[in-house]
Amino acid sequence: MAVGGQDGRAGQDVLRRVGEASVLILISLAGGPKHGYALIQDIKELAGVELGPGTLYGALDRLERLGLIEPLPADDRRHPYRITAPGAAALRVHLDSLERVSAAGRLRLQLGGI
Amino acid sequence: MGAPRTARLVKTALRCYPPGWRRRHGDEAAELASLLIRDGTPAGSIAWSYLAGAAREWLAPRPGRRLSTVACALLVAACSLGVLAGLQASAGPARAASTSQARPRAHCRPRPPEPVPGAIPAMGRPQVITWEATHGRSC
Repeated sequence: MAVGGQDGRAGQDVLRRVGEASVLILISLAGGPKHGYALIQDIKELAGVELGPGTLYGALDRLERLGLIEPLPADDRRHPYRITAPGAAALRVHLDSLERVSAAGRLRLQLGGI
Repeated sequence: MGAPRTARLVKTALRCYPPGWRRRHGDEAAELASLLIRDGTPAGSIAWSYLAGAAREWLAPRPGRRLSTVACALLVAACSLGVLAGLQASAGPARAASTSQARPRAHCRPRPPEPVPGAIPAMGRPQVITWEATHGRSC
């Protein structure tokens, strides 16, 4: 099931249910194509999260099935991935949604005087 | 843990993945594991991550995979859970028995004096003969 831009689901947050690992991978790939080891290192630097290799491959397969990332020709044994156009769009929608939730949370904390 | 042993541990975990996954990611996953071990990640946590990933991979329905394979994987998982639950249940009574001996038992009351044959009980002090006294149950 690929998430394309032309399937009437534009604007829908498809990343809401894919898990944190998948979102972090998409954010990392938004900065350029990477293979598994580079992804783990980048996500560790970016978010302080150490992805397990099993989690990484599960998330990569899921994102690829959804059409949000695609593999590039293998470099020796390493398979780099890059974010697709629908992937970038989905990430933008998800980050906008997170920003709205974050702003609402901060406002409530402020109003509540907590 | 020695290097050959950690490599064996990770290899064993990688063998748990479906063949299609191993053909596609196997070499890269082994290389990734060796790089992570070199960086200081414990081999056990890498192997555990791959084992959990393999379980997810088998349990996730795929278009090319027969339903029976998924059903078998589910059955194995359910059996493992059942064995674990059984082991815990059998350990429960043993634990309870070992702890209950530390507390005094409810029937351990001081026994009344044994009635002396031929003696007349003192007036005003009715003798109560309890079940414990007659049956001589000891603690």
